[in-house]
Amino acid sequence: VRFTFDGRPVEGYEGDTIGSALYAAGRRTFSRSFKYHRRRGLLCCAGQCPNCIVSVDGAPGARACTEPIRDGIQVKHLNASPALEFDVMRSVDLFGGPLTPPGFYYKTFIRPRRLWPVYEKVLRHVAGLGTLPRSGRDRAWRTEYRRRHADVLVTGGGVAGLRAAVAAAELGADVVMVDEGPEPGGRALTDGGRQTVGSMREKAQAANVEVIAGASALGWFDGLVPVWQGGTLHQIRAQQHVFATGTIEQPLVFSGNDLPGVMLSGAACRLAALYAIKPGNRAVVATTSDRGLEAAISLHRRGVEIAAVADLRPTPGVHADALKKLGVEVLPGHTVVQAQGRKCVSGAILAPVGAFAHDPNAGRTFECDLVAVSGGFVPCVSLLSQAGAKTRYDSTSGYFALGDLPPGIRAAGEVAGMEDIEACSRSGTLAGLEAAHALGLGNQASRRAADELRQWVGSARERRAPVAVPPAVCGDASGKSFVCPCEDVTAKDIRLSIVEGYDSIELCKRYTTVTMGPCQGRMCELQAVRLMAQHIGRGLAEVGTTTARPPFTSVPMGVLAGPPFEPAKRSAMHARHRELRANVMWAGDWRRPYDYGDPEGEVLAVHRDAGLIDVSTLGKLLVRGPDAGEFLDRLYPNRLSNLKPGRIRYGVINSDAGRIIDDGTICRLDEETFYVTTTSSGAGAVEEWFQWWLTDWGLRAYLTDVTQGIAAVNLAGPRARKIMAEVTELDCSNDAFKYLDGRRGLVAGVPCLILRIGFVGELGYEIHCPSAYGEHLWDALLRAGAPHGLRPFGLEPQRVLRLQKLHVLVGQDTDSESTPFGAAMPWIVKLDKEEDFIGRWALERYASQPLETALVGFTLEDGQVPTEGAVVLDGAAPIGQVTSSRFSPVLQRVIGMAWVPAGHASDGARIRIADHGRTLEAQVTTKPFYDPEGEVLRS
Amino acid sequence: VSSDFLSLESAAQSDRFSPVLRSPMERQARAAGGQFELRDGWAVAVTYSSPEKEAQTVRRAAGWADTSHLAKLELQAAPEDLHAIFSDNAFARFELGSARRTAGTWWCPLAPSRLLVVCEPARVAPVRGQLEEAISGIHSSLVEVTTAFAALTVVGPAAQEVFARFCALDLRPQVTPVGAVRPGSVARQPGIVICEGEQRFLMLFGWAVGEYVWRQVEEAATHLGGAPVGVDALAALDAPLQEVRL
Repeated sequence: VRFTFDGRPVEGYEGDTIGSALYAAGRRTFSRSFKYHRRRGLLCCAGQCPNCIVSVDGAPGARACTEPIRDGIQVKHLNASPALEFDVMRSVDLFGGPLTPPGFYYKTFIRPRRLWPVYEKVLRHVAGLGTLPRSGRDRAWRTEYRRRHADVLVTGGGVAGLRAAVAAAELGADVVMVDEGPEPGGRALTDGGRQTVGSMREKAQAANVEVIAGASALGWFDGLVPVWQGGTLHQIRAQQHVFATGTIEQPLVFSGNDLPGVMLSGAACRLAALYAIKPGNRAVVATTSDRGLEAAISLHRRGVEIAAVADLRPTPGVHADALKKLGVEVLPGHTVVQAQGRKCVSGAILAPVGAFAHDPNAGRTFECDLVAVSGGFVPCVSLLSQAGAKTRYDSTSGYFALGDLPPGIRAAGEVAGMEDIEACSRSGTLAGLEAAHALGLGNQASRRAADELRQWVGSARERRAPVAVPPAVCGDASGKSFVCPCEDVTAKDIRLSIVEGYDSIELCKRYTTVTMGPCQGRMCELQAVRLMAQHIGRGLAEVGTTTARPPFTSVPMGVLAGPPFEPAKRSAMHARHRELRANVMWAGDWRRPYDYGDPEGEVLAVHRDAGLIDVSTLGKLLVRGPDAGEFLDRLYPNRLSNLKPGRIRYGVINSDAGRIIDDGTICRLDEETFYVTTTSSGAGAVEEWFQWWLTDWGLRAYLTDVTQGIAAVNLAGPRARKIMAEVTELDCSNDAFKYLDGRRGLVAGVPCLILRIGFVGELGYEIHCPSAYGEHLWDALLRAGAPHGLRPFGLEPQRVLRLQKLHVLVGQDTDSESTPFGAAMPWIVKLDKEEDFIGRWALERYASQPLETALVGFTLEDGQVPTEGAVVLDGAAPIGQVTSSRFSPVLQRVIGMAWVPAGHASDGARIRIADHGRTLEAQVTTKPFYDPEGEVLRS
Repeated sequence: VSSDFLSLESAAQSDRFSPVLRSPMERQARAAGGQFELRDGWAVAVTYSSPEKEAQTVRRAAGWADTSHLAKLELQAAPEDLHAIFSDNAFARFELGSARRTAGTWWCPLAPSRLLVVCEPARVAPVRGQLEEAISGIHSSLVEVTTAFAALTVVGPAAQEVFARFCALDLRPQVTPVGAVRPGSVARQPGIVICEGEQRFLMLFGWAVGEYVWRQVEEAATHLGGAPVGVDALAALDAPLQEVRL
């Protein structure tokens, strides 16, 4: 497989990762560190640390050690300029130390203030890891969200996870197992258990376990576990959870511990076992447990010369004898105190623990090109902690172990304190059986098996090999001893933060950013806690840990954002609007024509001839039942139960506080049926409001929301009646079909409800029909109206036309404080109604008190249109605001509506409007600008 | 019934006007190669490529068909009345979440006092008659809501996976068996999913979001190897809809 790294060709084998292929090709430096731009090489080889983050085909953030190679990919380094091998920002490490203590950005670059833009530019340039492609197109990639429900989710696909998944699935549970590795198996893959893993995977497949490999569980969100797998984010919700997340091998803190060539013992073994790469020619191994000794043996078998093994324990474990037989020197009670080298490791100093700090000659130097360290194995409890699990400090092992688990959560394998493969396997089976039992699956035999396993696992937890607890810092910390490889936080930095008063681990985290980098504390949390405990003189249990938060793994923002869902409602005639080149805009959650390119011409067409507007967006409710009239009487301040069938009344819906919520028309279709329309944006809220009260009052009435089921158009203008005559046999004469009449009939062959109302102030018919006929109706009307000068008109012309009539637009001209009295509609409140209605108490109070503010119309003489929202002034004091304003091509002047003090609400009163630095003089009017007596409407 | 302007069959063909019922997804279907026929007054996408190819898509991955033309009637009544009507017509106990199919008609309880009935357009008149007879003398509301809900039928082994891309409903067979009805969010819009058969789901959603939902389904399904299929391909499926035999 061929790919390029920084433009140079590299070859690897199928199954290689970018990291293994580059390592095999001789590369040792993979990245530069975040702050000091020091060389960084492979550290964990398991996707846990930040050391090998690269960009792949322009997308930054890939971990080279786990990212499989593919033919032709372009891999580039991050965070180094001009080149990975020569990075000018390394000067920060060499000369900038005093300028870059922890929290330096709070202390420096402050003065002189005028230079801040320069500082900011420089800081932004040097901060961050990687650069996103400049063009949006190059930044975009497909992400899929996949929702998955399961009975059991097993997180972690090592031996324990596999066993748990198989055990639960074999009892009939629907099981999903996720694993970070490209293939499940975990540690067993490198420890000679490949065959066992293979047979377990076959069993899992046979039991229909869904295995999601190469995927990271990002967090826990009230039972929902997002799992990121390449271009897919699985959102998994399971009834039972088994966490078999294993342990994370810890580095040791010593001088030069970030040099390329210093790597975790597990990483060295993985390179050798999984990719057949010799990680070094001559190695020094430093360990705190048997696992390091096992690693030394394994490396020796693969041809790596072991210069020495430093075992921190005073009595080395069982493998020490084997190493000695191989001729390897094992130094008990020793550890590594310094790694030496310029570009990569060339030697290491091993010394008795604690001695080197007092006596620099206490150590012995070994030449080597690999330092394999094993500072212990910490249970990977982050996801469990997010799920509510407790941890407690275990002084014998030196880490925070799992404590109590919440219901429905189980832990298995190493994270639960198991050590060898046998113990992991059994604890996994137990967790799987228990999860299945909790779902009501299983039988007597499975329960008996679980009981036996429970006993065995309990005793295994007690049989643990001795380990040593490493010191907070090995050696004298004279050079840079890194605690946090992500954020370049050194042991010295932690000490300094404590000196400056940040003496709790959470404060220290925020101040130094330790644990806040891409590794999310995997490599540094325990070391930071140890340093904190040492410096403040308290125990680790008392210091505690930082709070585990998602995401557990760094993840591209695009994955979190997911695919765009932008639900848009479109009327049945929407395609026709597009064909007519309408300028379409959002109106609530609808897409509506703003205009058809000539808003003024459209206004004039409606005024002179006829216009057709799509009003399908109006909310439409059917209220039916013997109590429907009473129901509406209780909701509206005016009376509707006495409305005659076939008649229409305007209505305003008020809140309990008497404030306007919405408005619309109500047409009585028959004795028990009312057809209620609402504003377009208020439809959903009104439906909920109606449903709420209907449920509460228990009246014999039923509500059906037919908003989307009915298309509607408003045919308006002096020639509307003539056009109607072309498409319907209904008698549309003024005597037969009066203003505020509602009729049912065929229009263009389609069953329709026709309402004679006029929001735009002209003779008008609002025609409602089933949505599936909407396009036909629109076409038929436009065709029939063409000889009469009919034009489609959009929202903007409609707003001008309704403003001429001073028709209130709820939400535009009203706000949450507006009452019908203030909004110049006192006539709609019928306080003499016998029935109680929503808001009655408040409206009675308003009626008994003098009006404070009122909605009025105004005209401007100098032709300038004030901005909607402009302030109305009295002297310099704001007294109101403009809610609507437009130039009317019909009236040839600027008109508008504004809230003003009641004292100004009289015809001819003068008001001043302040708008963007100009002051406009306006004259108040309380009557409609156009057809004030409504003669046109009724004509 | 005063809301009879919602009844689609009352349209009249004449020399001047030939109203055709159109789905909100017609343009998307045409753009995808749909071939249309007029059936029961509706322009229906009957096929896209060929019945054999579509059947193959349905067997291999997933197909989706615009079934907005299905008639829908909403019946609301007092719970005890509604439950009795349901039992008499669907031959089962009224149980939320559990729909019944009899004589080509789905009876879907949505709430204790709300029932949705879905059938082929040709059957709407007899079904309405059946319901009108059942509700005579009781307080109720029967409304045709055919055009309030657009519909897509998603079918095939990847159907559940298609839904998983835009919908969080648990449609696993053990949770949503054949006949289950699941009101919930589909592509962040209110919707209803009925499990019509093994690997076959009928999804109802707002008429006005038809174009949007089509795009979501298309996006999800094509990525999984799916394709749009005509209603004729649905009729030729191996697994017929499970019905209560009368």
